[in-house]
Amino acid sequence: MPPYKIPKRVKHRKEFRRVRDRKATKGNYVAFGDFGLQALEGCWLKSNCIEAGRVAAQHYLKREGKLFIRVFPDKPVSKKPLETRMGKGKADVDYWAARVKPGTVLFELAGVSEERAKGAFHRVAMKMPIRCRMVGRRVTV
Amino acid sequence: MSDETHTLKAQARERTGSRYCKRIREAGGLPAIVYGHGKDPVSITLDTKEAVGHITKGEKVFELVLDGSDARQHVLVKDLQFDYLGTNIVHADLARIELTDRVDVMVPLRLVGDAPGLKTAGAIMTHPVAELELNCLVTNLPSFIEIDVSKMQAGDVIHAGEVQLPKDTMKLLSDEDGVVAHVVVQAEVPDEGEESEVTDEGATPEVVGEKKDDEDEKDG
Repeated sequence: MPPYKIPKRVKHRKEFRRVRDRKATKGNYVAFGDFGLQALEGCWLKSNCIEAGRVAAQHYLKREGKLFIRVFPDKPVSKKPLETRMGKGKADVDYWAARVKPGTVLFELAGVSEERAKGAFHRVAMKMPIRCRMVGRRVTV
Repeated sequence: MSDETHTLKAQARERTGSRYCKRIREAGGLPAIVYGHGKDPVSITLDTKEAVGHITKGEKVFELVLDGSDARQHVLVKDLQFDYLGTNIVHADLARIELTDRVDVMVPLRLVGDAPGLKTAGAIMTHPVAELELNCLVTNLPSFIEIDVSKMQAGDVIHAGEVQLPKDTMKLLSDEDGVVAHVVVQAEVPDEGEESEVTDEGATPEVVGEKKDDEDEKDG
């Protein structure tokens, strides 16, 4: 496995798959930056996709602004090797993923113009396996 | 806030709950509730287009007219609920007020001017605090507070306590030490900066409480 971001310590080596089809009730608004990239679909976002998005944004912005990554791949996903019979216990961890629900804000940008943020998020969205859109801050009351 | 207080027409709704609210939204209504001033809370329905149009422009105070009664009541938008994507307002909380009341509101900040410090290589403008909580008269509610950053050099900070409020009668309730504008010069990153955040540690994380092989032998 390439050295992408994964947890340093875990309580359990493997975990159940769990329910996926829910809408985001937390982490679904821009909290730190001025603009955000919001997921419109749910998925298990692999750690390499998050890293690819970060690299794409930083390459485009060239040290301009500050990028916030709002998701962390803390879910181990196991996969049985090819041509293996069923059984014999749960397989080894194949990759680490972040649980992304529709509405989750994946990345945020601060200190850049809307035009630059749009350009950066367009490139990041190309690296994501799901549909995304750029959002701003919500109305204050 | 504009000087004019807009009027919102509302209908009282007898049936409450998510199913009925969903039907109201499908019919172009916005479920809302009015409470405060020692009176019973009343569930109402607003016209979505009218209400959301004003709220998104920054209006906070409205004159509410309930269908079937001539009584007019000033209300303050106290809270908004959004759908999971944050696109649509799905519910509004309105608090009864008098125009002589003092209220606590959150006011967004707007940075104006070009900071010369941003011309320094690697400098960016951050504003960890994007809105301030104020106590002010209902008639003096600002839509936003402007902060002039045109004199900020690299490393300069503006705290909430230094912000010039639009009226002297306004009181700042937010933490005075909160940073509302900061020109940060980011640390020099090597050329391979795009790859620098990647962890080079082993692919498997440490399992908390797991016995290592040496310990197993000792135990056995």
